[in-house]
Amino acid sequence: MRVWLSGALVLLLGMAGSPPAKEPAVPASIQEVKAKHAPALMQLPGVVSVGIGRGPDGRPAIVVGLDRERPETLEQLPRSLDGHPVLSEVVGQPRAQ
Amino acid sequence: MAHDIQTVRGVLKQTHRRLLDRAQVVATGVGIKVTAGKPTGELSIVCSVTRKRPLAELTERDRVPASLDGIATDVVETGVLRSLQSRTARHRPAPGGVSIGHRDITAGTLGCLVKRNGEVVILSNNHVLANSNAATRGDPILQPGPHDGGTLANDRIADLLDFVTINFIDSPSDCAIGNAAAGMLNAVAGMIGSGTRLRAVRPQAGENRVDAAVARPLNPVDVSPDILEVGRIQGMTSGTLGMAIKKSGRTTGFTQGAISQIDVTANVQYGPGQIAQFTDQLLAGPMSQGGDSGSAVFDNDNRLVGLLFAGSDNTTIINRIEHVFAELGLTL
Repeated sequence: MRVWLSGALVLLLGMAGSPPAKEPAVPASIQEVKAKHAPALMQLPGVVSVGIGRGPDGRPAIVVGLDRERPETLEQLPRSLDGHPVLSEVVGQPRAQ
Repeated sequence: MAHDIQTVRGVLKQTHRRLLDRAQVVATGVGIKVTAGKPTGELSIVCSVTRKRPLAELTERDRVPASLDGIATDVVETGVLRSLQSRTARHRPAPGGVSIGHRDITAGTLGCLVKRNGEVVILSNNHVLANSNAATRGDPILQPGPHDGGTLANDRIADLLDFVTINFIDSPSDCAIGNAAAGMLNAVAGMIGSGTRLRAVRPQAGENRVDAAVARPLNPVDVSPDILEVGRIQGMTSGTLGMAIKKSGRTTGFTQGAISQIDVTANVQYGPGQIAQFTDQLLAGPMSQGGDSGSAVFDNDNRLVGLLFAGSDNTTIINRIEHVFAELGLTL
């Protein structure tokens, strides 16, 4: 009974928190989300690239490339953006070869 | 019967073309005949073959006769002969994958041959053929590049035909009014004690999608449509996530990898403090080093996918070939 009640509460809160009128008909594609957030991500210290790759689970992810280990930048990176996972990797400074 | 070397050479000279016509025979020469692993001491005509096969499997025409004009033959297995000529050497005709460069740079890679207005041209990077915007159309292109010993007097293979300008971030402005305005504002800021200074910068005039240039060979017979260790181009395709790719470059030769990211925005360093931002790039794992810039990138079916231009210890960054072709007006 208690489980059912708390479940119903979560459901109600969830509905209250996201008015259906403002929900987009189609969720933004990972390309759109990446395009929207790339300029801000590229401004973070040590970020040298932002692209679309795959996570360890094989699902598409937004991948942020760092020039070296950057704990302070990692703290500022969101875990996900608009429902798409955000990963990071140290790629080093890219140079023209 | 012992023969002197002049006799054997004379017979070889008369017969080597017929011998090389046989399937499997890749080289002929004069050498001591070896039987059952031991040198016999007898001079013979040696035929190198890709693979030794039982006589029964060979047609009459493809068999190497036991003797020619009384001279014994010997058949040795050498496998397929490959050119050991270095990629940094002078090549005529020059295939894709060898050293090339504008006369004022070090060296990069000759990517491949493409067409512009029906004319065969060499494709590589702007920073290889056009010295990162600093060159003028018509400038000499050397093969090998200057770092590999190419000289203007002997190794000019082509002239710079065209390039896509690279927009660098924070390029110091060449706008006199902007600089003067910044100077005045900075003087004011200095007077009121502000530590902040303004600098007139040219806003990025559009995004960079390619680091690409083309050069027109002085003589069409000086270039080859082959790509070293890859072969011929078999069309074009769009790079996708996970696609297996390969390239042939001046420094690391033939390497393979896979596209690990698409739609990549990346800041690439060209020199101290010189950064350019590229969008819609392909990213792969490490498959290149300095000097490989300009390498053409292919899928497993030899379809052209991209133009390699940058990388780090862990990554390789590649322009999409569709952007390269669109911005320079190229066809295959």
